Amino acid sequence: MTQTTTDRPPGAPGTDTSLAIEVRGLQVRYGGFTAVAGIDLDVRRGEVFALLGTNGAGKTTTLEVLEGFGTRTGGTVSVLGLDPATERSALQPRMGVQLQEGGFVDELTVLETLQLWQKLVERPDRPERLLERFELGGKRGTPVGKLSGGEKRRLDLAMAVWGSPELVVLDEPTTGLDPESRRRTWDAIHELQEAGRTVVLTTHYLEEAEALADRVAIMHAGRVAVRGTLSEIVAAQPSGFSATLPAGVADLPWLGGTVEREGDAVRVRTTDLQGDLTAFLGWAAARGVQLSDLRAAPASLADIYHAIRTEEQR
Amino acid sequence: MTTLTSASSTGRVLALASTEAKLVLRNRTVAVSSMLLPLGLGIFWAFSFGGDDAPSGGAIILALQLGVVLGMGIYVTATQVLVARRHNGVLKRMRTSSLSDRGLLVATVTPSVLLGIAQLVIFAGFGAITRTAAPVDAVPLVLAVVGGIVLVVTAAIATAVLTPSPERSQITTLPLTFVLLGGAVATSVIPLSIAPFQALALVPGAAVGQLVQLSMTGQTWSPGFAGIPLVVPAVVGLVLWSVVFGRLAVRRFRWEPRR
Repeated sequence: MTQTTTDRPPGAPGTDTSLAIEVRGLQVRYGGFTAVAGIDLDVRRGEVFALLGTNGAGKTTTLEVLEGFGTRTGGTVSVLGLDPATERSALQPRMGVQLQEGGFVDELTVLETLQLWQKLVERPDRPERLLERFELGGKRGTPVGKLSGGEKRRLDLAMAVWGSPELVVLDEPTTGLDPESRRRTWDAIHELQEAGRTVVLTTHYLEEAEALADRVAIMHAGRVAVRGTLSEIVAAQPSGFSATLPAGVADLPWLGGTVEREGDAVRVRTTDLQGDLTAFLGWAAARGVQLSDLRAAPASLADIYHAIRTEEQR
Repeated sequence: MTTLTSASSTGRVLALASTEAKLVLRNRTVAVSSMLLPLGLGIFWAFSFGGDDAPSGGAIILALQLGVVLGMGIYVTATQVLVARRHNGVLKRMRTSSLSDRGLLVATVTPSVLLGIAQLVIFAGFGAITRTAAPVDAVPLVLAVVGGIVLVVTAAIATAVLTPSPERSQITTLPLTFVLLGGAVATSVIPLSIAPFQALALVPGAAVGQLVQLSMTGQTWSPGFAGIPLVVPAVVGLVLWSVVFGRLAVRRFRWEPRR
């Protein structure tokens, strides 16, 4: 395995060994279009990090810079202590990549594809192990062009995790998959996590980020709009409760949060869930108001995602 | 460590090149257009114009055979393979392996080059059978083959820059194929003793014909314009266009399909 050690000044990106990826002020411009507008990212070793965002938010562009395929116009990037722009050849043996789109030779069979990969990748592994792990054994003699979309994505993932690399980058690994195939992919990602590998993935699916990621960053218009652990992000967002009032109840108590009323349905968004809910229930008890459909919940990632999208449309 | 890394790099290039060769042979369309057609034309010309023991007759056959192998056998095939692999995302995928970018390109075009060399060897055999006039100087012929291959390989990579899809490569490769074939045949017989004709070496691929002519007449080092040996303009022509195509390829080559 080829590794390059680069001398960097203390505090510079790449000097913190607890981080697998360190990005500072990353900018990517294509002519007059800014795809990534100066983002900072830290990915810790051994964590699953999800990059979410709308189409065109800059997720794939960011991943391409991390992989060494995209050209940055500003900022510094360190991946496993290396600069992917200048040290890609040293980085490649340590990083597995699943592309957003296939990239297969349709005429090669599944087994031929993995046998070729075995010769092209420095990390040792066996085609048979991956055929079995990704349930492609029955398709070994099938040309890749005749595989279903889900089978191709499994083959793609098998090539990305070939030889269990230190860092695995997955670009929308479950897009277009049926629920069963998606579950299998999630299992594979959990296995990587348990083996102490670092995983960076992009996804459109909020439940996927919730199920897999230790930390997430939500990108919007080339910037990171929100970042942190899911609990941190959720705690920073307004929680909510809702209830349906009996007909004819006109007034409501004063609450610290935002009250939305549509007919008899009331929805409250608040940063003080306990205080406002107590006040609301106290008011209902004092007035003898019988509430129905009473529900309280912290903000979901979906709420946050939609809030960002709504902000985008304004 | 350096030796091991170097050896494994070569092994990776060979692995991909042998897979590419297998794919060329599996693909009937490519096999016919890049193997059987140039081979059939070359053999047809050898029998049609063979038996002529005059140097000019041998030069025309050699120039036609070299032109069709370089143009149809190597240039068109290499361009089509490169564009198809990029279009399907295969080049991008291969860049995530431990193969270097240079190794990836070499492996992708190598089968086309080997196929072309095999065709030339077969043509040489037919030349002996039909007793076509043989070259009297091997040096310019070797220069024509080696320089011609470098020229069409760099041209293939440069043409891939300008070709958005595999279908379009059937059109984008046409101009250079015709210029190369026509130029090579014409300059194989246009007398180099007339100084202005030496400048035809600057037409892409025409230098191949001039070198073929020199190999048949043995005038490789005879003085031409301003006393410069006749072989020089032809070599300059090959190097010049290889550099032009090479620079275009290095600066503008795209590894991913246009979205």
